Amino acid sequence: MTGAEAMVKCLEAEGITRVFGYPGVAIAPFYEGLYHSRIEHILVRQEQNAGHAASGYARLSRKPAVCCVTSGPGATNLITALATAYADSIPIVAISGQVSSRLLGRDVFQEADMRGATESFVKYSYLVRDPDEIPQIFKEAFYIASTGRKGPVLIDVPIDVQERKLSRPFQYPETAAIRGYKPEIKVNMQQIQKVVDALNEAEKPLICAGGGVILGDGEEHIRRFCEKFNIPLVSTMMGIGVLPKKHPLYFGMLGNNGKPYANKAVARSDLLVIVGARLADRAIPKPENLARRVGVIHIDIDTAEIGKNMGPTIPLVGDVKDIFRILTEQEIDAAGQAWIDELEEIKHSTVDHRVFSDKLVNPNLLVQRLSEKMDDNAVYAADVGQNQLWSADNYVMKNGRFLTTGGMGTMGYSIPAAMGAKLFAPDVQAVAVCGDGSFQMSMNELATIRVNNIPVKVLVMRNRYLGLVREYQYNTYDAHYEGVQLYDWPRYEKIAEAYDMPFFSCARNEDLEETLDAFLACPDACLMVCDVDSEDRVK
Amino acid sequence: MKGIFSVLVENKDGVLSSIAGLFARRGFNIDSLAVGETDDRTISSMTIVSTGDQRTIDQIEKQLNKKVDVIKVRRLSETKSISLEMMLVKVACTAATRSAVIDLCQITGAKIMKVSPKFLLLEYHDEPEGVEDFIDLIKGYGILDIQRTGTISMSKS
Repeated sequence: MTGAEAMVKCLEAEGITRVFGYPGVAIAPFYEGLYHSRIEHILVRQEQNAGHAASGYARLSRKPAVCCVTSGPGATNLITALATAYADSIPIVAISGQVSSRLLGRDVFQEADMRGATESFVKYSYLVRDPDEIPQIFKEAFYIASTGRKGPVLIDVPIDVQERKLSRPFQYPETAAIRGYKPEIKVNMQQIQKVVDALNEAEKPLICAGGGVILGDGEEHIRRFCEKFNIPLVSTMMGIGVLPKKHPLYFGMLGNNGKPYANKAVARSDLLVIVGARLADRAIPKPENLARRVGVIHIDIDTAEIGKNMGPTIPLVGDVKDIFRILTEQEIDAAGQAWIDELEEIKHSTVDHRVFSDKLVNPNLLVQRLSEKMDDNAVYAADVGQNQLWSADNYVMKNGRFLTTGGMGTMGYSIPAAMGAKLFAPDVQAVAVCGDGSFQMSMNELATIRVNNIPVKVLVMRNRYLGLVREYQYNTYDAHYEGVQLYDWPRYEKIAEAYDMPFFSCARNEDLEETLDAFLACPDACLMVCDVDSEDRVK
Repeated sequence: MKGIFSVLVENKDGVLSSIAGLFARRGFNIDSLAVGETDDRTISSMTIVSTGDQRTIDQIEKQLNKKVDVIKVRRLSETKSISLEMMLVKVACTAATRSAVIDLCQITGAKIMKVSPKFLLLEYHDEPEGVEDFIDLIKGYGILDIQRTGTISMSKS
């Protein structure tokens, strides 16, 4: 058996049925292996999108997804997607072809030092030197990607290693024993007791849930805990979906771009329970101020996350499911209704002072109506820019998924991510929502969608600008708009036509309902453009 | 404050650059770094000395622990561990100054490894502060070349 055949065998052993990729000579032996296997290969139109598609796939399947690229530029194109997955802790196993191991380090054609280049963007990486190492390395890669704090793992395989034969029969290891990597963490019961004591002492406890709750499959456990002890919850952008929007204990997304009442809830709480969130600058701009005012419990699977941005009063390391299962069993006094009433009061007294143009489509209304009309379990992939913030702000979460890149903020994420999600869950409605800037970063994937009949819906909010940068220039540089205008191209109806996709467009609030209904009812992949006023701002 | 870390790592290619990269990327200082194999050839031992505030030193320990290739991290306290550093140095000397340098060597315990008409090649090892003191002592004669190993440390218990 050749190294390439062994690589395919390993993927089969991991239950992988589909990979996203873009071939080249340095990965060709692996593609020959794929040709003879039942694994389906989805050819994307640029390598970065193979990574984003794998990300969407992994977020729905909650298991590592695979992407594969060739050496040199193919591999370097993938790096942005790896960095994106790393920032959001998404489990991906990326396979890159590499020049022959005899030529490594000589700067031959299409050689790039991928281990070096991705050092700070992957959880771990391998350069395979010997085909006999392949089974062990693949086992380890999937194990590392999917355990502890999840993340991308890179396996760089020189072409000669793919071609050479294994010296012994192929055997996929049952376990991956890595002496420096022990992801299972036993919950410390003394710390649990401290958390219980703090909760009993607090009058105004508040949970702040991040993306880690969803990555750790902890939504159900946290919901039960909140309901049992009447504890309210706010979320970060990556934590959208931990509770449905209409849940009586949910008080919105916090942060710079969040709901003012969510931020007020944080400010007024006397005990903040942070779960699976790094509390970066966008969520809490000045964590040191917060730490002085309230007691802080920080729960995370990653020890290094605790205390990185904010010193907690009580750290608690472990798996979110375990921790909240244990906490729900403890004797804790339920929080008083007065605190919930106070939060309700704040929520209802918050007035939105933003003014939106009534000539074109109001982006807030658009996101609200779209997400209300979408299926209960639908996937909404939000891109980056004003569209992301309008989406996060107005999205009506039911029991679906809100996919976006909160950590890296990579434009062009939504279309390939929605594509990956839809491929994993073909019966689930998937809508990618982007701006006219982010659309053009991955519109080439409309071909992948068309060719593979992936009925993803793409909605573009068009304002003919890179709106969020424009807004920044408006606020910071006296409206000196530089390098942000996109003008009238492309002609979206022609783009849709070029890819044989039904096209919908809407330029007035009055037409919104009808157009959205038709867009959502369309059984095929389709494109919709909503004209949004460039003067409309997020804040 | 000073942080002394004794780190056991996989003895594989790329591990040193990955550890060094971690320090560079997160803005941690490396004051001194010494690496060598242990009695188990698959494991290397690193002594890393860094300075920073409490939060930084804590983060260094946590981030080191996160690395897959890091097997064990131990934080050593300055008082409860032994730290040593070795140095080779060429000190310029003439017939007139040679005996003064030799006197210094006798007092400090520095070993003379080679004598030449223009310099003495000395080997000296001591606690890191002692090495600094020795350099101050001989600086006046003129240092032609100097190599230091970086600190290695071990807990007393």
